[in-house]
Amino acid sequence: MLEKRLLIVSGKGGVGKSAVSAALALMAQRHGLRVLAMEMGGVGGLSAHFGTGPLEFEPREIRPGLHAMRMDRSDALLEFLSNQLNIKTVSRFGPMARAFDALATTAPGIREILTIGKAVWEVNADRWDVVVADGPPTGQIGSFLRAPKTIKELVPSGRIRDEADMMADLLADEPKTRIVLVTLPEELPTTETMETLEWLRTEGLVPEPFLVANRTLAELSDAGTPEGPIGDAAQLHRSLWSGQQEWIAKLKTDIQLPYLFGLFTPGEVAARICDEFEASI
Amino acid sequence: MTDTILVTGAGGVGKTTVAAALGIKAARAGLRTLVVTVDPAQRLASALGVEELGNEPQPHRDEPHLWAAMLDASASWRAVAVRHADPEVATRLADNEFFQAASEHFPASQAYAAADQAATYVQAQAWDLVVVDTPPSSGGIDFFTAPAQMADLVGGRLLRWLTGGPLPGRKFLFNRAGRPMLRLAGSILGSDLLERVAEFLVDLRTTYDGVAHRGRQIEAIMKAASILVVTTSDPAPVREAIRFYRELPKLASTPTSVVFNRILPPEWANVEIPPGTPPELASNMEQWSAESTKQQDTRDEFEARYEASVATIAWSPSTPSDIDGLAGLLDSAEGIPWDALQIDVAS
Repeated sequence: MLEKRLLIVSGKGGVGKSAVSAALALMAQRHGLRVLAMEMGGVGGLSAHFGTGPLEFEPREIRPGLHAMRMDRSDALLEFLSNQLNIKTVSRFGPMARAFDALATTAPGIREILTIGKAVWEVNADRWDVVVADGPPTGQIGSFLRAPKTIKELVPSGRIRDEADMMADLLADEPKTRIVLVTLPEELPTTETMETLEWLRTEGLVPEPFLVANRTLAELSDAGTPEGPIGDAAQLHRSLWSGQQEWIAKLKTDIQLPYLFGLFTPGEVAARICDEFEASI
Repeated sequence: MTDTILVTGAGGVGKTTVAAALGIKAARAGLRTLVVTVDPAQRLASALGVEELGNEPQPHRDEPHLWAAMLDASASWRAVAVRHADPEVATRLADNEFFQAASEHFPASQAYAAADQAATYVQAQAWDLVVVDTPPSSGGIDFFTAPAQMADLVGGRLLRWLTGGPLPGRKFLFNRAGRPMLRLAGSILGSDLLERVAEFLVDLRTTYDGVAHRGRQIEAIMKAASILVVTTSDPAPVREAIRFYRELPKLASTPTSVVFNRILPPEWANVEIPPGTPPELASNMEQWSAESTKQQDTRDEFEARYEASVATIAWSPSTPSDIDGLAGLLDSAEGIPWDALQIDVAS
């Protein structure tokens, strides 16, 4: 896992995708790698797990060797425009920047390609050993991963088209890129993960993903069910556990992370998941 | 008069289950009730008696006052074009690759389609109560901002800039050679792409008055609705719930209650473990005690900091798979604001 250059973490909303992203970034940092953690999807998830304030587009070193940033479409667009137009500031092209921003909202693939593109550019810039992206939820991951292809279909020529070719290559590069799919042993996340896996296989855009089952319960041996809360807790645990087994059986996961009882700061959660990764990888 | 309850919150917290359970309680209290969901789990859909996607509400086979609809967001989005554009333009839009792509990719499109359809049910005045399970798309707040975002999209800044006027004709497309910005844009994006996007936007632009007007109607319905924010005690959904409490007063109204789902008995926080208890049961109890403590601290903090009315629903090991099970979920609930929701559960 740590030999990859780009890790894109996805999962249905609420499965702990940001916690897993933060944990992977922390693990890489513990191993002395230069890491960029990128908040791509929802705002605030990753920064909460790092215990930092809101992140910005400009990467900030939050621990030695670990930088974090927040993907911002408008900033990425300005960066793209100033790179492409070879001018220092696009601000004097304000109306143009605003128009492109509106275009990025409307035209299919533009928003996605800027987001995926930013991750790819950071990988290629060689400032980092690994880029960990807290990616879009599985409901949207398809349109992001497919963005380079969408652009290639819609745009016959132009510089964006050339960029799209380069991105598609990196995403499909097995030694360099890995998608990490986080799921829970419950009905909706499992179904959505299976659909996503099926889609990824059909499209063949990226190598086979790494599957993480989060919040799994350990089996509780049958040591009786005494009257009162102790027995009630045992009973709840057992029935939740057997419910989980039904969904765990449907997916072949690469790692099962334990349910974290009683932890409630996001920072603690990320640190514990990081320990779990260390122990198993 | 149709009342509306919007049930919102992060994904995976049991929002749809809570919306369904509320709807059943209301129907059993004698209110003609419609439950509107997006993409429910299979078992839940069966319990509600809807097996297929469709915007047509289905009466429940056993519950005389209950209807349910499972929204098809892509169908609703097409309905926007049909409703607000000339027939010829609507056809062209529906066939347009950008329209199709936008309906899949524009983050607020699913949310807008759901809000629009839900508003249609409320305006139909055929029910006493419409319970809406808001779609889980990128942050549930989308549901509330979608009408304005949609109007902004079709009223397009890009379009205004391209055409220099509020309501362009198609001929500007043939007259763009003189615009250096467009030539520059074309060299980066490919001129063909820009032209096709512009054409799409011109068509979409003709729906602006309709969409803007509709957006104001939808917003009025949201402002008049009761809002329940559902969450578990985990940090991520709680953060989302906080966001609703901070932002909804501006966008719609202050949430009526925050509903904490999957709650353990508070007395589990302090359980004395008698000697002779098998060690695995003792350590299991300790785990769940820690969880119960965390839950209570989380609730107390939420209540104090946001002056929120707090309701709790007990953790049931399996999602109820029939209608009685769903109704039963709320029998053990505490603090559900039945009076504020005008549901007479005593009857």
